[in-house]
Amino acid sequence: MPYLGSEDVVKELKKALCNPHIQGDRLRYRNVIQRVIRYMTQGLDMSGVFMEMVKASATVDIVQKKLVYLYMCTYAPLKPDLALLAINTLCKDCSDPNPMVRGLALRSMCSLRMPGVQEYIQQPILNGLRDKASYVRRVAVLGCAKMHNLHGDSEVDGALVNELYSLLRDQDPIVVVNCLRSLEEILKQEGGVVINKPIAHHLLNRMSKLDQWGQAEVLNFLLRYQPRSEEELFDILNLLDSFLKSSSPGVVMGATKLFLILAKKFPHVQTDVLVRVKGPLLAACSSESRELCFVALCHVRQILHSLPGHFSSHYKKFFCSYSEPHYIKLQKVEVLCELVNDENVQQVLEELRGYCTDVSADFAQAAIFAIGGIARTYTDQCVQILTELLGLRQEHITTVVVQTFRDLVWLCPQCTEAVCQALPGCEENIQDSEGKQALIWLLGVHGERIPNAPYVLEDFVENVKSETFPAVKMELLTALLRLFLSRPAECQDMLGRLLYYCIEEEKDMAVRDRGLFYYRLLLVGIDEVKRILCSPKSDPTLGLLEDPAERPVNSWASDFNTLVPVYGKAHWATISKCQGAERCGPELPKTSSFAASGPLIPEDNKEREQEFPDSGALMLVPNRQLTAEYFEKTWLSLKVAHQQVLPWRGEFHPDTLQMALQVVNIQTIAMSRAGTRPWKAYLSAQDDTGCLFLIELLLEPENSEMQISVKQNEARTETLNSFISVLETVIGTIEEIKS
Amino acid sequence: MIGGLFIYNHKGEVLISRVYRDDIGSQAADSAVFSSSGPFLGERLGGSVRRNAVDAFRVNVIHARQQVRSPVTNIARTSFFHVKRSNIWLAAVTKQNVNAAMVFEFLYKMCDVMAAYFGKISEENIKNNFVLIYELLDEILDFGYPQNSETGALKTFITQQGIKSQTKEEQSQITSQVTGQIGWRREGIKYRRNELFLDVLESVNLLMSPQGQVLSAHVSGRVVMKSYLSGMPECKFGMNDKIVIEKQGKGTADETSKSGKQSIAIDDCTFHQCVRLSKFDSERSISFIPPDGEFELMRYRTTKDIILPFRVIPLVREVGRTKLEVKVVIKSNFKPSLLAQKIEVRIPTPLNTSGVQVICMKGKAKYKASENAIVWKIKRMAGMKESQISAEIELLPTNDKKKWARPPISMNFEVPFAPSGLKVRYLKVFEPKLNYSDHDVIKWVRYIGRSGIYETRC
Repeated sequence: MPYLGSEDVVKELKKALCNPHIQGDRLRYRNVIQRVIRYMTQGLDMSGVFMEMVKASATVDIVQKKLVYLYMCTYAPLKPDLALLAINTLCKDCSDPNPMVRGLALRSMCSLRMPGVQEYIQQPILNGLRDKASYVRRVAVLGCAKMHNLHGDSEVDGALVNELYSLLRDQDPIVVVNCLRSLEEILKQEGGVVINKPIAHHLLNRMSKLDQWGQAEVLNFLLRYQPRSEEELFDILNLLDSFLKSSSPGVVMGATKLFLILAKKFPHVQTDVLVRVKGPLLAACSSESRELCFVALCHVRQILHSLPGHFSSHYKKFFCSYSEPHYIKLQKVEVLCELVNDENVQQVLEELRGYCTDVSADFAQAAIFAIGGIARTYTDQCVQILTELLGLRQEHITTVVVQTFRDLVWLCPQCTEAVCQALPGCEENIQDSEGKQALIWLLGVHGERIPNAPYVLEDFVENVKSETFPAVKMELLTALLRLFLSRPAECQDMLGRLLYYCIEEEKDMAVRDRGLFYYRLLLVGIDEVKRILCSPKSDPTLGLLEDPAERPVNSWASDFNTLVPVYGKAHWATISKCQGAERCGPELPKTSSFAASGPLIPEDNKEREQEFPDSGALMLVPNRQLTAEYFEKTWLSLKVAHQQVLPWRGEFHPDTLQMALQVVNIQTIAMSRAGTRPWKAYLSAQDDTGCLFLIELLLEPENSEMQISVKQNEARTETLNSFISVLETVIGTIEEIKS
Repeated sequence: MIGGLFIYNHKGEVLISRVYRDDIGSQAADSAVFSSSGPFLGERLGGSVRRNAVDAFRVNVIHARQQVRSPVTNIARTSFFHVKRSNIWLAAVTKQNVNAAMVFEFLYKMCDVMAAYFGKISEENIKNNFVLIYELLDEILDFGYPQNSETGALKTFITQQGIKSQTKEEQSQITSQVTGQIGWRREGIKYRRNELFLDVLESVNLLMSPQGQVLSAHVSGRVVMKSYLSGMPECKFGMNDKIVIEKQGKGTADETSKSGKQSIAIDDCTFHQCVRLSKFDSERSISFIPPDGEFELMRYRTTKDIILPFRVIPLVREVGRTKLEVKVVIKSNFKPSLLAQKIEVRIPTPLNTSGVQVICMKGKAKYKASENAIVWKIKRMAGMKESQISAEIELLPTNDKKKWARPPISMNFEVPFAPSGLKVRYLKVFEPKLNYSDHDVIKWVRYIGRSGIYETRC
């Protein structure tokens, strides 16, 4: 690795860069610069030659310029004073007659991440926005976003935003899309770029001119647009229809999502859309581009959650090929498991059975679990297949089959008999903790139907000293005690031995405790043991909990074509949760400034403003303290306008909450002391139109939720909704900071 | 939006790294998969962002022991989208909730663009062209957003020689290219000879049961066009699509029955941006103004009436515990006048194979112990022929109870026809402004059918 000896390298390069002979020879000069970049890529610190590199930027050779600029963008934050020297050259390049040079200089200038650069880049950006070459305009538009990013928390420049809004009408398609991206970043605090009717229609008309990246991006922005009438909605759908058949899967998925969201009130349209994208999705699922295929499969699974029969007739498309990568096979098995129906169950099971003996243990196990899943509906066939698999006497198969049996017996009691007959002999082929636990549990609960159950358990008891997993020991204790209840004669002796071992010799405290507990329980009397241990042996109703019934399309439409189906909802929730906490950090979001930025909205936006004077523009008035008496009177006279429950766990600091609410201009009238259960608080707020909000927070001790009731003196849903979102954000933030 | 793009070799060394956004990596740093080596200044600031993301990926994906579980890997809340080409890894990194399909498409596009510049994507090529790659990355992504990625447009201003001295005229041309109303073609193209090449490239996929029953089969095809035409030509492309033929044949009933046999049903198809979709939807005619040079006109998929060029008939017999007899017959199933090429049959053998004797009628067969397979290669084979191989496999006695899973026999080949049955009926060229007509254009059509995943279970 070149991490070592970097000083020598830097010295040598420095010498080479200063050498007038090399500087004179264009090709050699460029070669040295190339070497610098190469070392930089490998992770070597090359900031030592900054000065020399800056000098090298004064050249007519575009490639050399590009390399030097790349270098400068990387190291400028480390050498801000030296980087300023380069600004001069960059500024000069910004007025070069060649548009490529202008664009390059502007792009590099905006990418210099160092303090103080803003004052130099502002003017070139503004010039760039009006440049006659679209190449420069593209760069300048994104440059605005970069500049805003550099400022961080600074104010939004109204004139600039206006300029960007007007550039949405630019004739170059990439400029248009870049404008949207840039506005989105600049206006992030205010909820992103505003898509009103004229803008939406303008974008719709330009769609066919855009490249695939632009199309996907615009489809995403259009999600924000709410058509006024049903007629307009269907017009939009008709206009976008061809994108459902686009050659780019990304555009297809983007269009599908837009359709699903726009048609959220028309379930039949949604179903129709899903039928129409079936072809493109299936094509993506069998395409040679494996990664895309994976993504498509994830989305197919998502669709199957709502429409279980949707792909059933195409089940053969989801058969695995030997040479496919692992991740595709695993997804396909999941899909197969979900699209099974009366007609194809035979073939699907036949296919899955083949996978169970695959060389990859991982894949084989996934296939067995899939059969277990299907067994909930088609029990007999599946149990037969699983029993046959036990005959192979292979460790990795047996353990998974036994685990599947355990779950199955619990959910479908009718197969107990068959499972009990299959079990004898399995114990020889199980070595891992999970498998052992499953087997022992089965033997304990259904021991009376398995003739040799006590003898199998006896083997485990004999070897308990060498057993490495505490969980297995715990399971063994419980199972043996259960079996003792149904077959006392055969078990009494070994139960004694096991209890003795657990109490006297065992090192693991949990196991020892369990042993002691059972010992004392036995002392109390056999009736008491029976009362405690003879729980139900199966519970089919749990099956409903395990796989929730069909979910409506609307429940996942907003997650379609994001990372959520790829990662799975649960995994994504943990990822994004952490991210949210990071973002909000110590300071609270400035939610009270939700007010739409009046002068920043361009001409074509005004119309919308007039129609909905108060949409999204909630302005809470500070220091509007009410007296307790007045509050009480008003509270009693009003009806609850909105009630909602937010999750709330663990400790609670009323002071923090009070402070946070103060920031967004919500006043506290009264609240209970910390630790009081149930805890209550009364809050009030007033907006600039005089609308009064009264709020009650209620924290119940037993359930980890906070109940919020809001009353309002004027019934205006618009403001109510924005107020509630403010309140939610604050409470959500506090909750996140805490955790 | 893409935060950064990295290219690695199989050892996990970084060949190319380009960071577009600051947000990536700052968290990957927390994961401390690799502590950044302290003494270097660069590692601490701008560098540390990149280095940690880079190292995290190497440890978690490239050097991972298990098989890759997903092409999207989340490390410390940063998503890595990775694609492998031969032994090169390309990874796009982001912290946002992006459209996964789009990111992968972008990576594919990136590969295409690179391939268009320097051919195969290999470590050597990447090292040799690394300046060029940085140039490309600079152009096709800005601030993490995809910009112009059309190879044709890029090639006008990023040339392999690097330095391009530009005359005024050329400059204005580039600007118009970069700005052009029709993004994919510039005005004023002239050729002395107007020529066009059409390639119908298909890959046929098959999964067959040991009994010879087709479990699944599909053809995914592409029509690739190389056009060297002057001006702004209007093209119209026709093929034996069932729907079109039925529509036209309505008048004359007997023609329908005649051509009906040869028409094919296309399950779904997609077109290059230049094709007017409205016209396709209404009349099902494919008309367009083509980009200059090579591009993919359409992509399609068929599942019905596929001509399977080869049939594989396996026969495996276990003789005792230490011997296996394998006989495989392949039959070619197309016109005798055509020749299939580059035929390769791969017969998997058990892991405990000690020796193999092979006899084949045609071609060469070899047992490759490292791949656990007998590889049988035949250079050429005409249609309606049959060839066979028989092998005796000696096995070492093992106490492993694991049964041999019998992986399927796979096959590779190339045939000079389209297994889907697709035929190009016409490609007409009209250029109203310049004076050349459809007849003056020299047209070449070629059909190539290749094997995709072509497996027969045994």
